[in-house]
Amino acid sequence: MSTERTQEIEDLASEWLIRRDSGVWTAHDQVRLEEWLAASTLHRVAYLRLELAWEEAARLKALGAGIREDLPPPRRQWNLTPFFDAPDHADGVPDHEEASSSTAQVAELNAEPSSGVPDVGGVGGREAKSRRRSQIGVFAVAASLLLVLGAGAYFWLVSGGEHYVTPVGGVVSFTLKDDSKVTLNTDTEIRVDLTARERNVDLKRGEAFFEVAKDPQRPFVVSAGGKRVIAVGTQFSVRRDAQDLEVVVTEGKVRVEDAGETLLTPGAIAHAGDAGVLVQRKTVPEAQERLSWRTGVLMFRDQTLGEVVAEFNRYNERKIVIADPKVTDLRIEGNFRATNVDAFVRLLGSGFPVRARVEGDRVLLTSN
Amino acid sequence: MEEPLDTWFKREVLSHEEILMRFLARVWPHRDELADIRQEAYARVYEAARKSRPQSPKAFLFTTARHLMADRVRRERIVSIRAGGDTDFLNVLVDEISPEQRVSANEELVRLARAFDRLSAKCREVVWLRRVKELTQKEVAERLGLSEKTVEKHLRTGARLLAHYTRTNALIPRTKPESGEQDDDESGYEHGTHARN
Repeated sequence: MSTERTQEIEDLASEWLIRRDSGVWTAHDQVRLEEWLAASTLHRVAYLRLELAWEEAARLKALGAGIREDLPPPRRQWNLTPFFDAPDHADGVPDHEEASSSTAQVAELNAEPSSGVPDVGGVGGREAKSRRRSQIGVFAVAASLLLVLGAGAYFWLVSGGEHYVTPVGGVVSFTLKDDSKVTLNTDTEIRVDLTARERNVDLKRGEAFFEVAKDPQRPFVVSAGGKRVIAVGTQFSVRRDAQDLEVVVTEGKVRVEDAGETLLTPGAIAHAGDAGVLVQRKTVPEAQERLSWRTGVLMFRDQTLGEVVAEFNRYNERKIVIADPKVTDLRIEGNFRATNVDAFVRLLGSGFPVRARVEGDRVLLTSN
Repeated sequence: MEEPLDTWFKREVLSHEEILMRFLARVWPHRDELADIRQEAYARVYEAARKSRPQSPKAFLFTTARHLMADRVRRERIVSIRAGGDTDFLNVLVDEISPEQRVSANEELVRLARAFDRLSAKCREVVWLRRVKELTQKEVAERLGLSEKTVEKHLRTGARLLAHYTRTNALIPRTKPESGEQDDDESGYEHGTHARN
């Protein structure tokens, strides 16, 4: 077999693949494709190989989460989750791509930022900062300005506020201009508007933890789903599920305003829904466990597999599905990396009567 | 009910491409033939699996690739790199080359992002609009002011290059899309490879 032949087959396979994917595809086309595939197994494997790559390319959507623009972000400015383990090039084969790169593509989210913009560490963050400064003048003209940070969230300025967005699986911390610190969890969007009288955060979706800088003159208000969560100087998180909120307080006092008002103290975990606010009193360490996502870890204490799976699915594009109600109520305890579905599923299989089966983009759990 | 052979093949066989290519690159001196051997091995494994799916698809894939290379040596279609044409050099343990690593979903995403970044600027835009924004080919053409034919060409190139870049180290040449301004490679990642092509 000649190299030319391999290339030719791959070329034809790509033609079939893209044409079938184009939407203009008749029964007659299908017959012809099947004939071509049946003509040689080399045709078929070339086609399957490209088809697989093409299916996988749809996963770019995970990286596109939160990008409002039509076009892709600049090269190397991806929204990669901060809890990546080492880059995957620790093999013996030299990699020119890495060697020639002066920009760390996967930056660890470690340095505590101090300026007014998100800092995700690494060159990308600094570039974004200086770019932002230089473009403040342009801001008056441009209605909206998208800035892409090296390895963390995207944020952009709109008149009267700043938007911050994280993708599925992403967590990012940054400091606001008032010195309050914000940590956004997976798949989260907030809009921040700091005025002379009030500090406003609109939680559009997802979950955020706030360490509020003390400023009695300017209350810090998180609004979401028609409710307001108000703090003066404190630490708390707000998680939004549609119109429902979960508020966890680890320090100071927080007031939840919906139809009425509820005052929360440290250790409180409050659920605010249509029916009002339900408050659980926990110790502060217990409340902090609830916020373990800030370090990329999920902690579970005697929760059902159903709850645990729902939590994992917030962080991963690859969804775990309970395909057998018998396993839903198994009680789970433990600490897991939020984005390591494989490790979790493996552990489940070894310690519980649960069998995992991968089906496309899903992991199905059944009883053993 | 058994799952479809194609699905099985993608998951159990095609998923080993990266390590297979690393293995082939290590034992086979003729780089421009690596893709041929790979595809031939795939075809043989697929045909065998039609009758009965192997218990250990990965081991079977590597064994098949070894046999193919040994055949090539015997047929003297290549000049053996060792005197006497012995094929011992093929007996490198797979695990010596790369210990099995479980690749997390995140690592796969990083790989995909890197591969995607290596496409030409236009190709990147076209693939993004089609695959992420889910515009039709026609809409992509209108949005970017390209002909539909050109959009189709970029998509074909995109599929081929992503298949290559997500699985194969930059040092191994890929099968080249034949015509047009395919991979303009403006980022200059791949100089070494191009020189050898």
